[in-house]
Amino acid sequence: MAILGSLWTGRLYGLEILHLLERNASLGLAEGTLYVILNRLKTDGLVESEWVDAGTGHPRKYYWLTPAGRQRLRGMARFWIRFAADLETLLEPALGRKELANARR
Amino acid sequence: MPDDRITQAIDQYCVRLRRALRGVPSGERDEIVQEVRMHLLERIESEQHMTEEAVSRVISAAGDPKELAKECEMQAMFRQAATSRSPWLLLHTTLRWAMTGGAGIAAFFVTVLGYGCGAVFYLCALLKPFFPSRIGLWLAPEHTLSFGYWNGRLSGTEVYGVSVRPPASFVLGTLGPTEGPIRELLGLWLIPIGVVCGALLLLVTTLFARWFIRRFGPHESDGSPSRLVPSVSRTA
Repeated sequence: MAILGSLWTGRLYGLEILHLLERNASLGLAEGTLYVILNRLKTDGLVESEWVDAGTGHPRKYYWLTPAGRQRLRGMARFWIRFAADLETLLEPALGRKELANARR
Repeated sequence: MPDDRITQAIDQYCVRLRRALRGVPSGERDEIVQEVRMHLLERIESEQHMTEEAVSRVISAAGDPKELAKECEMQAMFRQAATSRSPWLLLHTTLRWAMTGGAGIAAFFVTVLGYGCGAVFYLCALLKPFFPSRIGLWLAPEHTLSFGYWNGRLSGTEVYGVSVRPPASFVLGTLGPTEGPIRELLGLWLIPIGVVCGALLLLVTTLFARWFIRRFGPHESDGSPSRLVPSVSRTA
């Protein structure tokens, strides 16, 4: 979901996706794993890709969401928001409202 | 530009990755290796100093080729199994899946049961001409129906095969020992009935296993919480 989410606003290549995940979601992964997951998402028809000569001496493979990928991401996001809200309800008594609000930041 | 020593280190990693990915279809394998290679080159070029430490740090951040290959091979196996007619591949896939959780265990159990019963029906049809008085559809006391091989004893009767006892008892394997008379019901009709039932069971089990893998298999990028962020750790 995080990888699909990183592609919502446009085309990115692998390294940009990794940077975005680290910067915006504090998510890190074994870097080679990203390409395995992207390969699976492409096989499932959720992303599309093409090699582009970026003028850096070697080509970059850019990915973007297909309509099916956008639809799947919206479904995942709805599921995740509900799931997180339910968990938050469960955990609120343990932290208290103030600490919970701090933890959200 | 990276020097020969760095290019060589990257090439060695790519050779290991390619070797580890030998179970993956060649087109996919080439794409992944090519992409990882470009990734490593760009990562190394972005380092201020292209020292040996920097190179080995970049390469180790890419991950162990064997671990990457495991992930790929599982995906390839599930995709292949989802459209396969091979009982062996479906059994192998559901067995691998069973090692990862409850859905896999359920799939493996049903697949083994279906193919096991199908094999019993086929085997009985095949062996009936050679053991006509020992193989059959047997009616035992308490309305137990057994399709398989009878040990030939009137006391301490055992039947090896598939047994059903109303209302809800089912055995794949050995039934018995039971006491009392046992009667064969089908005679040589067992051969065509065994072939047809065996074929139906193989077909139904194959269709079920394929549907179950497509619907619940880990290759599918659905929205269940365990698959939302696969193989990702939260960084500090």
